[in-house]
Amino acid sequence: MATELTAPVETALAVEVEGLLDSAEPEGIYRDTRECGGGLLLAGLLLISPPTPRPTKTDAR
Amino acid sequence: MSRGRSAGSRAAPPADTALLDDVAAGALRWLDAMRPHFRLPADVTTDADPNLTLKPLGELAELAQVIHTLHPLAPLRDAAAELFAFAWKETRDGELFAELVRGEPVATYPVELYGVFARVGLRHPGAEELIEATTALRRWRVAREDHTRTLGVLNAELRIGLPPHADAADVLAHTGLGMRSEPWALDRKAAYGITHDVFHLTDWGRAPGRLPDRLADYLRLWLPAWTVSWAEERLWDLVGEFLAVAACLPGAPYDAAGWAEFAAARGAGDAVPESGEPPGPDATPGERFTACYHSTLVAAFAATLARAAVGRSGAGGPAPTSIAGAARGGGPAAMTTLTGSEKSP
Amino acid sequence: MADVANGVALALDGGGGSYALSALLAQDDRVALAAIRVLGADVLAPYALGRAAGGGPDGQSAGGPDGQLVRRALAAYPPGADASDVSRWSYQGLAEATRAFLPDEGTSGYSGTEPAGGGANPADGQPYADRFSYSLSPENAGPAGSPNPANPASPAGSAADAWLRDAPWPKLSHRASQLAALALPGLAPALAAGLAARTEDLARGFVRAVRRRDWLQAAGVGRWLVRAPDVPDSLGLEAGMVYVRRMSGGDPRVALHALAARRFPGGGSR
Repeated sequence: MATELTAPVETALAVEVEGLLDSAEPEGIYRDTRECGGGLLLAGLLLISPPTPRPTKTDAR
Repeated sequence: MSRGRSAGSRAAPPADTALLDDVAAGALRWLDAMRPHFRLPADVTTDADPNLTLKPLGELAELAQVIHTLHPLAPLRDAAAELFAFAWKETRDGELFAELVRGEPVATYPVELYGVFARVGLRHPGAEELIEATTALRRWRVAREDHTRTLGVLNAELRIGLPPHADAADVLAHTGLGMRSEPWALDRKAAYGITHDVFHLTDWGRAPGRLPDRLADYLRLWLPAWTVSWAEERLWDLVGEFLAVAACLPGAPYDAAGWAEFAAARGAGDAVPESGEPPGPDATPGERFTACYHSTLVAAFAATLARAAVGRSGAGGPAPTSIAGAARGGGPAAMTTLTGSEKSP
Repeated sequence: MADVANGVALALDGGGGSYALSALLAQDDRVALAAIRVLGADVLAPYALGRAAGGGPDGQSAGGPDGQLVRRALAAYPPGADASDVSRWSYQGLAEATRAFLPDEGTSGYSGTEPAGGGANPADGQPYADRFSYSLSPENAGPAGSPNPANPASPAGSAADAWLRDAPWPKLSHRASQLAALALPGLAPALAAGLAARTEDLARGFVRAVRRRDWLQAAGVGRWLVRAPDVPDSLGLEAGMVYVRRMSGGDPRVALHALAARRFPGGGSR
């Protein structure tokens, strides 16, 4: 290996250069607005979205 | 990227009809077995959470009806018809809607749900009297915060035969689809908005020709990116909805990699999880139901639209089968003008 | 690297002016040279600006301090035997940028702005034997390849160019972004042409990158897109580049790409 002839620091730098040039994609970061409210479960509403507030039969409070 | 995506904008591959039929058949089998979980509880009009009761049943009815109408295979059509009949029975032949409207006269969802059945002539005179009274109010025409939802209400009005409360083209222009939102700026909620703009506009894929060219081109351009992106996020219901939307486009471009990935996300019994992995072996049936019912319905729906599009020649012509002409009032003829942009076949 | 990227970005923003790469570096050490090697042809972008605008930094020549600095960076970090294609192309791009943007004193009347158009430059005694062309890749060097140094601009012709035609769009987009420094005027016309043939795919890559919050990839892809003749109007590219730059929270490499995109536009919208 030719790299064995190179000083360790320089080898590390060369490796870093290679890595930066041909870098892998970073992990995707996804975040949705908190405005949706509700659990994830209900986000895919086909018909009823967002949940309609229910009438309280008798407001006991 | 380990995914074997096709190079993109080249000629779309032919649809894998065997895969599509497997997805649809498997999903329908699972849904059928889950009937007990679709049943409405006694307190459905009062205390029960509508998101866990009426929403599942409403989705079942809406999508089963589409599958019954459009799927080319008779056994699948029959299975869907049975599920649709089951849903109607659960509404006690429409009596449910009278109770819902009486309880929540300003809510739109009872009208939207009723429209699913009224569309094919399943009507309830008592509910209809109430709906006529509530939807005639100025109150009914107050702008809603979500224009996508208003498109759904407009579609329900067409189905029931009520006068439209707003100009659909106007409403559409304010939606994510009508605005042609920057395709990179969508989050989950906006993505659902766009898929549902399409569903309402095309009457759930029955009338793909209603998509204006400009919007169809917007979707053609960006659906591949969205499908990949949400598949990476592993939100399978959205992936399924994007695949369904693709089937509504002229030529119904078939996303082979997207379908393969979506199909591979299925778990035991062919249920599709809402997101991530299928529920583990120790999940209760109830947990399985809530985790999977929506995506699995979407799977059956998307596979049906994609399958029906195979028989459709070239550019987004009308769906091959028309809805039963039994509907009174707003029949199919009245439903061709949600935005007045219907193209000739 | 951030310092160098910042300096280049500032120079692009300000119109080139008194840019000198050598002035950006605190010291001529191997780290600085590594930064130059990683940023590639972009370290000379302000000179391209000058060329395009008829002004720019005062005439440095290939033999000047910047030219020497780049040469040292190239010598310090040559692509090794197992280097990636991106590393090779980037290396050759930097070498070519020196020839293109820092004219050799001996050459009277620097000829043309598209030196990479292939074979336009006769062997002129410069230390770099290989002319830059993206199609000069390992495959081309092998027996199965069809090296054609006389016409390296032939787009998408050889096996080495296959990725431009065949790579799935997420992959295409990622790689195009890694090569964004080559999106300088005239530097890699064949690569630009190959990518221009897949504008819709690149645009999808931009969408995906922004959704992933991969700002660097998005900005890099955006640089190619601003040069494409038929970017879909609904992409909202201009607003997208502003968005990406601001959302990146001041990442200098993203800023560099965004400013370069603004300074070196081309094509139009449909």
